[in-house]
Parts: sequence; C-alpha cells; structure tokens
Amino acid sequence: MDKEVARAFKEYYQTLDVNELVVKDLQEREIALIPLGHETMIRHMTFTDTVALKEYLEDHIPAHLYYSSAYYKEPQASDMNKKGWKGADLIFDVDADHIPTPCKADHDTWTCLECMAKGTGFPPETCPRCGMKRVETTTWVCDRCLEVAKEEVFKLIDEYLIPDFGVSLKEVEVCFSGHRGYHLHVQTDDVKGLTSDGRREIADYVRGVGLDPKHQGFRMMKDGSIIGPDLRDGGWRGRFAKSVYAYLSRCTPEELRAVVGSDEVANIIVRNKERLLRGIMANPPSWMGLRGVELGRTIRIAKAAVKDLLCNIDERVTIDVKRLIRYPNSLHGKSGLKAARVSYSDLETFDPLKDAVVFKSGSIKVYVKEAPRVRIGDYEVGPVKDVQLEVPEGLGIYLLCKGAAELRE
Amino acid sequence: MLTIEDLAKYPFLKKASSFVESYGLTFQDLASDEYDYVVQRAVERVRRGIEGRRAELNVVDPETEILAYPLSLAFVYGLKSGWVVRRFANSEQKRCFELLKGEEKEKIAEVGRDGFDWDLEGTELMVSGALFDFSLPVENYLEVAPSFHSPDWKLVNRHVTGGRVYLKHVEVARLLSEALKLKILRKAEEEDIKKFQMPEKLLSKLEGLEKLVKDAKKYDEEVMAEFVEEAKPPCIVALLKDLAAGKSLSHMARFTVTTFLINTGESVENVLKCFTNVADFDEGKAKYQVEHIAGLIGSKTKYLPPKCDVLRSFGLCVGEDAYCKRVRHPLQYYKMKAREIKRKKGWEKSG
Repeated sequence: MDKEVARAFKEYYQTLDVNELVVKDLQEREIALIPLGHETMIRHMTFTDTVALKEYLEDHIPAHLYYSSAYYKEPQASDMNKKGWKGADLIFDVDADHIPTPCKADHDTWTCLECMAKGTGFPPETCPRCGMKRVETTTWVCDRCLEVAKEEVFKLIDEYLIPDFGVSLKEVEVCFSGHRGYHLHVQTDDVKGLTSDGRREIADYVRGVGLDPKHQGFRMMKDGSIIGPDLRDGGWRGRFAKSVYAYLSRCTPEELRAVVGSDEVANIIVRNKERLLRGIMANPPSWMGLRGVELGRTIRIAKAAVKDLLCNIDERVTIDVKRLIRYPNSLHGKSGLKAARVSYSDLETFDPLKDAVVFKSGSIKVYVKEAPRVRIGDYEVGPVKDVQLEVPEGLGIYLLCKGAAELRE
Repeated sequence: MLTIEDLAKYPFLKKASSFVESYGLTFQDLASDEYDYVVQRAVERVRRGIEGRRAELNVVDPETEILAYPLSLAFVYGLKSGWVVRRFANSEQKRCFELLKGEEKEKIAEVGRDGFDWDLEGTELMVSGALFDFSLPVENYLEVAPSFHSPDWKLVNRHVTGGRVYLKHVEVARLLSEALKLKILRKAEEEDIKKFQMPEKLLSKLEGLEKLVKDAKKYDEEVMAEFVEEAKPPCIVALLKDLAAGKSLSHMARFTVTTFLINTGESVENVLKCFTNVADFDEGKAKYQVEHIAGLIGSKTKYLPPKCDVLRSFGLCVGEDAYCKRVRHPLQYYKMKAREIKRKKGWEKSG
C-alpha cells in the first residue's frame, strides 16, 4: 500500500467527527473491515458506540469498512447461526457497472483470461473469441455513468418507494457507494422482518420481473374491445397507463412497427394517435377501440412503454438478509472517495467526483501507468500512459487507489 | 367482536389461547374423565389430518372445540413426524379457508389482527374495472404470498399503493388460511413436547395415532408399490397412446412420461418398453436417459414430473377431468385416484 494513501486515510479517520459514524442501532450490527494493505477481512466485531468504533479505526485504518444490514442479538458471534438474527434494513444497490452505458466504450476494457482477447466497453458474459467465461474487467466511472446511477436512485424513490410502498423520505437513507453507484437503505420497522423471499418480491416488483399487464388492468371484453388501466390509478396500473401515453406520444412509426410486429396495425395506431391518446386520458379511460389492435399487441406496447421505468438494481443485495454493506461516511479503498450520505434534496446537485472528495490539500506527484480521462473535483487528466504528473491530492489518491498510478522517486 | 363461536371456528387466535389459559389445565387434568370429550375431539382432529381430510367444519360445542385445539397440536408435534405436521397443517388450512370465505369483512379483519397481527382494512376500492374488498400492508402480504407459486400472487402483479396491497375477499381468506398453515409448520420446529410428559391415558391415544400414521403411510406405499393402470391422469394416457402409435414426442413430453412412470414405481425396463415403437428409438441412449432420470446414474437426483401449470404451458395438458380439478400435479392425481380405486376394490372384496 502506498504510503501516501496510508497517510491520507489515517488522517481522515483521526480527524473524523464521531457523529459522522452514527448509524441506527450500531450495537446490534456486525462490523467488518479490510485493513489497508491487507486482503483478508476482519469480521464479527461489535461496538457499543461511535467513540469506541472511531478509536478502533484510528488504530486499524481500514481500506474498506462495512456494517451488517442485519440486526443481531449477538453480532460478535462468529457462527452465523448463533448471531440471533433480529431483522434487517431493506437495501437497494445501484451500481453503474451493471448498467450498460455507451460511455463504457471510452473507459472500460476487458481481457479474456483464457485466450487473452481484449475489448472495450461493457464486458461480454462469455469471450466472443473462445467462448469462455473468465473475462477480467478494468472499469472506470465517468460523469455519465454516475449520472445514470443517480437517475436510477430517483426512479426507485419517486416511482416506487414513495408512491407504491408508502415509504417516507426520512425513512430512506441514500449513500454514495464511494465508487460506482449508490446504496439505498430503508430502515423502518415495517421492512425489518421481511424474509429473503419477501425481499425478492420487492426486488422483482421494481425490476418488473414476472410483470404481466393482464394483472394490471389490461383485458379483453367479450365483444373484443380492450379495457386498460387509468392514468389516475396507483401502482403498476397507473404506471402502465402513463407510460403507454408517453410512449405513443413520442415513438416513431418504425419503433411502433417493431413492437407490434405488423405494419398494418402500426399504421392504424399512427393514424389514430390523437384519438387514442385522448381515450387513455379520458375519465374513465377508453383503450384502443380500433380494429386489429387486439390484446396481445396492446400488451406488447405496454411492455415496451415501461421498459425505461424498470429499476436497474443488483437484486442479490436486496434479497440478502445478512449483507455486509459499506459503512456510511467511510472511505472506499479503491477510490479514496467518501461513501457520503446524501439527503434527497441535495441529490440532484450532488457531484460524487467532487462532493465525495475528502483530500483537498496541496498536490502530489504520481507516476500514472495508464488511465482514461478522469476528473476529480475541478481537475481533469487523461487519457494518459506512463507519465509522471503532479496532481491535486484528491486525484492523486484516486489514481493510487485505483491502482493506475504509483509513487516514484 | 369475536364471540366464543368465533374462537371455536378459529382456535388458533390469541383470544382462544387466553380462553384456554383461563382454564389452567394441565395434561393431568385433561386425562381425567371430565375432559374425555375434549380428548376425543382432539384425537378426531388429528385423525382427519392424517387421513388427508379437511378438518371438521361443524362446531357442536365451542368450549370443547377451543380446548381440544391445543391438545391436538400437542399430539401432532408429539408424533414427531414432518409428514404428520404437513398433513395436519393442510387439513387445518382447508378448514380455515372454507370458514373464512363465508365470513363478513369485519370478522375477517379481526381474525387477521388477532391471529397474525395483520393490519387488514376492509375498505372497498375500485380501480380500472377491478373491485377490491381489502387492503393489507405489503410486509404482511409478503409473510405468506411468496409460498404460492402462481404468478397471480407475485407482488408485481398486484395492485400496490401507499404501502398496501389490495385484495379480494376470497384472496384474503386464502392468505389468512395459508398464514395459519405456515404458523403450524413453523411451530413444529420450536415445539418439543416430550411424550413422557403426558399421562398414560393421553400416551395411549398418541400411540393409537402413531399406528394410524403407520397404516396411512403403509397404505400410501402400497398404492405406489403396485401400479394402478386406471389411475393415470389424462395427459399421461394421451402421451402413452402417442408413443404406442410410434409418434415422435418433444423432449418435455418424453421427460413427463418417464418421470411419471418412474415415480409411480415402474422399472427402467418397463419404461423403455413404452418407447420401443418410436421411430428414432435408440435403446442404449434411451436407457442411459431413463436411468439418469430415475437417479440411478449421474447426479443421482430422482426427477419429478412437471406440475400441471408447466404441462399446461407446454401444451401437454389435454383437458381436465373431475380429478384434475382437485390437483395441481400429475402424481397427486395418480395417488388420489389410485387410493380411491383401491379402496373401492377393497370394499368389493370384503363385501
């Protein structure tokens, strides 16, 4: 581990205000960390208060600090069955790595460990050359990636958690993950007791897995006419109605043709678009009283329309009732950025590559092996390869943590 | 307001437990002649479960009914058999479902509250053509719904708004009765009723029930031991007919026939015979596949036939007969019909 990183991390934890470490029911959670310069995780720790935790952290500077989403009777027990699970927060993990964005071609590379084939962009599941699954990736984030991740967070909160699940804003905690995305923690008593199966249902709900429009208001009457949901309905019904309305308003005839699979039907819809939109908007709504536009095609349109409203989350995190998750306001060892709590009202303007930067004093000299274009704070660099640079501290630490740079005399 | 009759209908309610506690009865007390009728009722309740029948709907004497319920649970858990617990839980679930279907909304809400701490609200809601009778917090709904496999019960296919799931009367009855079933199953893991704590009289009842379990299980095994030709479900009959005619079947169809026959006790050789007419029959290959399915080679997993839902979506269901309406799985169909055929044959012999 680079001595600059060790110095910086130590300084961060030494000067950290203990209040920044406050989490709900700390004493019931398992604390774990990977110390700087080490590979193995120290687990099953417990702390009565943040003062004790801070003291420990000053002596054992962590590269990564975690706490359990679960509350335990005995968080220190090393046998998971003896911990006495009492419940867990409901967590959503939004990770830019899992969202295919076009900018990945600019900053991500992958290498097949079998045949050494290389490529750029979103990594393939199997190597296109040899078909093996051992694909190693080097990923970076850019403003675009982080912006997409942020949009997912807003979608999750505004579209699902508040209206459908009745969660209030003060019950959701949003944290920057410190690297490529965000964590949402719902910490109410209501969700605490949910089983893994129950959490899977919630994850499926926001991801639209198994979603069948026929259960959400779309059906065919005996005379062949189609009934659909109302814009004013809540839940998936309203979401369908609103998104079909928006979709029909904006889609091109070509897109529509591809979705309904018939030129003739697409043309009928395009010709009658205004009438259709008025119908969906009406109270009560009237859907597609058009010849040839039967239920199957309506459902195809509905599914295409809601595609952008499905949440891109890592469902494994939500389903797990005993997850170790990054400790709020701790540092991420692979970026040196702070896993900062962000209030909903600040989220819109939150700039992770600036607002989560904690090292801001002076500059350091680093030897950059290879990096794409990187911005930290107001300073940008790259793409660069094999150069000695003097950069602001935050950027230097970032490059060192990413393993893209090293200190050279 | 829950009356004593309600407690007798739903003896799993907390209020029913308090009622029982107010008697302060021990096992010793229950063994006295005075409580003979309670013991009888408890035994009868367990017997119905073991025999795979729905628990009795009629409530003759509420007091007996309420007092007998915890004793029947003691018997069930005392038998220390997962099979019995499952049978009993099913029988109670069916009974509870039947009763709840006929209840007023207010009563259902009370059962939910007292029995499972559910915050059921009996408010009607009309959304785009659907009328709902109740709403329930999402977290209550998710205690039970994931145990149902039908896509209708997936949260994503429900009307969810403001943290509540909207449901119809009969769906709430189904959820509550399933919650009861899960409660009985879950409690089996916690309960540890030692037989020796029971006085002689109750122990002898328990032994009687034990014998009943043995017979019921033996009967199940006997039914399965000897293949009952006439008990095959229509989908399997159709597939076998196709095979006999030398038709080439899809992978799913072959898998269904093979798993069905293997699981009803047919030998690998007999299963292979069914395939000999098929044009592309390759004995070596077929034998390998059948043995694999039977769990004799490979992963050693014995595969089960797909359930009715799956067969339906693969177009292998040829339409329901009266038995089909009562089952969800072709093996369940076979067992039920085989049992009835055997019972009938037994009567003919003895009569």
